[in-house]
Amino acid sequence: MTLVGRAALLLAFAAALYAVGAALWSRRTARRALLASAERGVWAVFITTTCAAVTMWVLLLTDRFDVADVAGYSNQSLGWRYKITALWGSQPGSLLLWMWLLSIVAVLVVVTNRRRNRDLIPVVIAVLMGTAVFFTSVLSFITSPFATVSPVPGDGRGLNPLLQNVYMESHPPLLYIGYVGLSVPFAFAIAALVTRRLDGTWLTSVRRWTIASWMFLTTGIMLGSRWAYEELGWGGYWAWDPVENAALMPWLVATAFLHSVMVQERRGMLRIWNMVLIIMTFTLALFGTFLTRSGILSSVHAFGESTLGAYFLALIVVVLGGSFALLFTRLPALRSRNSLESYVSREAIFLYNNLLLVGLAFAVFWGTMFPILSEVVQGQKITVGQGFFNQVAAPIGVALLFLTGVGPLIPWRRASPRELRRRFGVPLVIAAMAMIPAFIYGQDGAHWWAAAAIILGAFTLACLLGEFWRGMKAHHGLGDTSWVGSFGRLFTRNRRRYGGYVVHLGVVSVIVAIACQGAFSTQGDLALRTGQGGEVAGYRFTNEGGTRTSDDHKMSVAVTLGVSDGGGRVATLTPGVDVFTAQQQRSSEVAVDTSPFRDVYVVLVGLTPDGLARISVFINPMMMWIWVGGLIMVTGALVAAWPARRPRKAIVPSATGADGRGRE
Amino acid sequence: MAYVLIAVLSVFLVALVVWPLIAPASSPLPAEQADDQRAVEEELTRSLDAIREIDMDHRAGNLSDEDFQALDHDERARAVALIGRRDAMSAGGDS
Repeated sequence: MTLVGRAALLLAFAAALYAVGAALWSRRTARRALLASAERGVWAVFITTTCAAVTMWVLLLTDRFDVADVAGYSNQSLGWRYKITALWGSQPGSLLLWMWLLSIVAVLVVVTNRRRNRDLIPVVIAVLMGTAVFFTSVLSFITSPFATVSPVPGDGRGLNPLLQNVYMESHPPLLYIGYVGLSVPFAFAIAALVTRRLDGTWLTSVRRWTIASWMFLTTGIMLGSRWAYEELGWGGYWAWDPVENAALMPWLVATAFLHSVMVQERRGMLRIWNMVLIIMTFTLALFGTFLTRSGILSSVHAFGESTLGAYFLALIVVVLGGSFALLFTRLPALRSRNSLESYVSREAIFLYNNLLLVGLAFAVFWGTMFPILSEVVQGQKITVGQGFFNQVAAPIGVALLFLTGVGPLIPWRRASPRELRRRFGVPLVIAAMAMIPAFIYGQDGAHWWAAAAIILGAFTLACLLGEFWRGMKAHHGLGDTSWVGSFGRLFTRNRRRYGGYVVHLGVVSVIVAIACQGAFSTQGDLALRTGQGGEVAGYRFTNEGGTRTSDDHKMSVAVTLGVSDGGGRVATLTPGVDVFTAQQQRSSEVAVDTSPFRDVYVVLVGLTPDGLARISVFINPMMMWIWVGGLIMVTGALVAAWPARRPRKAIVPSATGADGRGRE
Repeated sequence: MAYVLIAVLSVFLVALVVWPLIAPASSPLPAEQADDQRAVEEELTRSLDAIREIDMDHRAGNLSDEDFQALDHDERARAVALIGRRDAMSAGGDS
């Protein structure tokens, strides 16, 4: 079996190499048969990589402990679900997953472009398969998932208990789909530069790929945060860990691209900037993969020491150097069609939004890399704490929240002061009302940014709901639809715009919830004997008895806590601790009571034989709205990416009595 | 057994990749000119979307009459030019 896996990867390497050569040669010679052969080369890469992935899963499911990855990341007692997810528990396995997803994406690109983008496709294939050459060569010659061990152990070490979690089953693949998906816009951008087809065609072709990749990255980041919240037991969900930052950076730059691309489509501006953004997004996706595999930074999520860093660094240098050199030679062809007419216009707002997002990405990059830079310059590794990131992210997050509300209300090209006054009247009144609770809770001055987030959250919510209302009213005014129908028509007529607004609603929810949690959460430690009670932040916790259990895999202790507030009992929580025998690893089983206004989050620190339970309690306000906001963002992205039905040929709607509908 | 499997897979992959080079194309791929036409079509679609959006923004009260007229005029002129280009390309392709 291992031989089949190794051979499949070697064949994938050969097929990818062939596809690159055939695609580029087909462009040079204009031979369609050669391009068709290159496309089949992409299929060959998909078939062989699928064969390798399936082989690895069979090895995991049949407990083949002669394979190093199976012995290292699985064992006989591991359930079949975790045996499947053990594929991405190891370094080579996770690279195999990356490569397999890349082959799926490449096949989708080939299939969806069979009758379009024929000029671009040879270069697109060359870029995607060039990336595949890198990954298959790493998997074939440097770190094979099919490497064997001798002597063969009787049982494996098992999967890290922290990874045996529903969120970890889906978080890495979703993140990888996001990373891999971003290679498509990059490939089309490079193809547009190479072929000098710098019109809007490539943008249209990558729009959905970018939104879909962004959606998967968002989901992956959210699930990773949820995993950290429920599994790591420190009361938080985001620690500005290098690997968390590695996922955030491409997300920030991709978000900037999704906004600035609209400026190019509508106004023919920011064409160079968009190229820079898409190159940076893909480079940062590779950088994230490099960070988790180089071993240069320690992280709870990283794969530890390895020699892969140098190879990934070389790839990043080639991608970055090659892309920018190509871009430089095409600068004259990328001049903007128009210029900024006013600093108060939709395109100007998008520009500010871009500067903030890219600025934040740069700050995160700087903070993440500072330990390495300080070691190189000063010979001493200086780690940047959460304080730095929070100090930078808080004002930028608040400013972005403001632009999230303002952007949709400002028209393209220019806005007159009279119109601005009329449009922002109601949101400003609502923001003024929100100042009252914001300043009551944030009066000590330490929480100014939380107060600002609440006020601007109210303002932005009013702006967005106002936009929905005005859009509905306009459709309803046409007289042929009900209010509900008008609401639905907003999405069928302009999915991208209103899907985007739904994403913005999610952003409001997430930023306000993050601000509230950061500013107003309370923490307390209690030591309670059986029957004893103690208070934290107005909640009373009573120890109602502990339990100890053990089986073949783990020993568990847990304590039952009655939780009550002034109004009586609100929850029964059972935090616990598991100690996994195979790995001798401890894992907290956090207990959380969730309500719309707060989470009561309890961690069992220890339970003595005489029943003394030491617990840590966190009262986290508004936590639920981080996850709800994430769900809303993903839903909005799905709406925006959903294909619209279009008439095959349309004429310009008449200016007088235009009903806003396309006509045949 | 493994060697047989690898040999079969290798032969299949070579046949898959080489076939277009030795067999006559059953369905010829569209000419590159189609890409140019599609680019104009897509730009026209974006322009028509923009006209509708400007119209809806005006109806919704997001645009003053003066701004609406200026934006609408420019976007319509762009759409008409694009329709002209599309029609010229179609005529060229037909002849």
